[in-house]
Amino acid sequence: MRQAANGVAVEATGLVRTFGRVRALDGLDLTVHTGEILGLVGPNGAGKTTFIRSVAGLLRPTAGRITVLGEAPGRRVAAHLGYMTQSAALYEDLPVRDNLMFFARLFGLSKDEARSRTSAALAVVELTGKERVPVRDLSGGMRQLTNLACAMVHGPKLLLLDEPTVGIDPVLRLRLWDHFREMNAGGTTIVVTTHVMEEAERCHRVAMIAAGRTIAVGAPEELLRAAGVGTIEEAYLVLRERDANGNGRTS
Amino acid sequence: MRLSRVAAIAGRILKQFRHDRRTVGLIVIVPLVVMALIGYLIGDKGKEPLPVAVVNLDAGTETPSGHISLGASIANALGVKGQIAVESATSERAATERVRDGKVAGAVIIPADLTQQVLGGVPATIDIVVKGTDPGLQGPVIKATQEALANLAKATSAAVAGFEAPPLSIRPVSLEGGVGLSTLDYNAPAMIAVFAFLFTFMLTSVSFLRERSSGTLERLMASPASRLEVLVGYLLGFIGFAMAQALLILGYAVWVLDVRIAGSIWLVLLVIVILVIGVVNLGIALSFYARNELQVIQFIPLMLLPQVFLGGLFWAVQTMYPPLRWLSQLLPLTHSTVALRAVMVGGEGFGDILGRLLALVAFSAAMVLIGVLALRKQRA
Repeated sequence: MRQAANGVAVEATGLVRTFGRVRALDGLDLTVHTGEILGLVGPNGAGKTTFIRSVAGLLRPTAGRITVLGEAPGRRVAAHLGYMTQSAALYEDLPVRDNLMFFARLFGLSKDEARSRTSAALAVVELTGKERVPVRDLSGGMRQLTNLACAMVHGPKLLLLDEPTVGIDPVLRLRLWDHFREMNAGGTTIVVTTHVMEEAERCHRVAMIAAGRTIAVGAPEELLRAAGVGTIEEAYLVLRERDANGNGRTS
Repeated sequence: MRLSRVAAIAGRILKQFRHDRRTVGLIVIVPLVVMALIGYLIGDKGKEPLPVAVVNLDAGTETPSGHISLGASIANALGVKGQIAVESATSERAATERVRDGKVAGAVIIPADLTQQVLGGVPATIDIVVKGTDPGLQGPVIKATQEALANLAKATSAAVAGFEAPPLSIRPVSLEGGVGLSTLDYNAPAMIAVFAFLFTFMLTSVSFLRERSSGTLERLMASPASRLEVLVGYLLGFIGFAMAQALLILGYAVWVLDVRIAGSIWLVLLVIVILVIGVVNLGIALSFYARNELQVIQFIPLMLLPQVFLGGLFWAVQTMYPPLRWLSQLLPLTHSTVALRAVMVGGEGFGDILGRLLALVAFSAAMVLIGVLALRKQRA
């Protein structure tokens, strides 16, 4: 299942971002390899969303360096990014298809291209048949699927998913993960944040974040081994404790 | 009914307000601003006399009790109450020119043989030349002249026993508006400007707030679209709507209410387009300072009432307390009201309202800049 990591999609070094007195990112170092699914795990307020927003070019770092697909985040890179926000950021009054068409056109696709990509994306998330339904009439799960379809409609190289499965029932959660893996198999690099630790096990690598820093990065099984425990949740607690005591990082 | 439950609900509302400082601020500030404005606008406080040109052609006449000139008496009486600043003009033409240029609110033309006519018991007429596009401006001139004439008649009757003053009448002469204009004709231009402002502001600020709170703005900003592209896209979308609405109001005014448009309808539309561009951006910028739709609604009276009061809809700008007059020149509704009135009522052309158009362009340009800066907050 794992793909060869043959390049670097995101490189963050000593990344700091402050909001007033709060240091949301406090010297975060992280490399995302091309072609992988990297899970960012950590409790609320750990800095996951701030990192994702920095990659998306929505936040300028206070200090440190970040490159995305070899460039500083910005409009040029943005064309190759897909960003799925935490809550379904959609135009409620518009039908599903119009939402997708809008985002496809926003990313510079021609009308014909946008039309065929929209149909393809709807097929991937299994929403064909719902295309004329206004978003406000969709269930929570279907909104999230539409949200994903909007993020991937332009065929991004790097997909940023911010807590994509929050508030989703287990059946749909599994379905979403199938879609993520499918897209990854097609060559899309994926960075996904979650505080559901069991989801982390579905990623190729996991970056554990606490208080704006990476405390451990590695394949799930490596992290479990390093922590000497059976679940990612336990591993997080052990590795955070170890990090607080000044012990070195994993991989 | 349990009092404790009622108290809990009332207490909760008070607590919520205490935590919503912006709302509390607006609850306090809006009425204070509005009442202060009304105090200055309705009261005489700080008002400067309205300049009026007086052409006194009346040579007067010799009587057994000496030289009498009713014209001079009227000219003096006009300025007595302090609401009118009398400015002597040598000829009717010169005075009319001053009216046309907007230098004076009106010109009172006292005919050559006024004293002789009156003393001879012949009814006489005094012309009051006004521009005719602003009822708020000509009203005080006509009123002051009427008062001066009434006082004069009283004084003459008292001085000359048994003398009954013949009727002295006033004839307003409109340079541009002309006779037969209804209150609606005068006010329609201002109402069109106010509605264009109000609806565009509500539409933009609420939609942009939604764009922000729903997260779609974040998505827009994470796309390759530049801030200017987002703003111009918004502008075009809303201009379409605002113009359709303006056309509806204009069409209704013209065909149903029979409001006249003396000048070019294209010029009317141009004024509205420039105003709308500014207001779209004002709406975008202000929506960044609101957290919810309730707060946006609270901005409306703060934005609109001072502009309605100071924009020349109810009170002529020239009659205002000077600081308010200067303030009114910073408000887009003042310029759009004056420009629309000039075109619709006065039939003025592009060159005549160029100054107003430039002021509106400056407002719109400033608002576009503020809109871009506001969007910068979203991507920082």
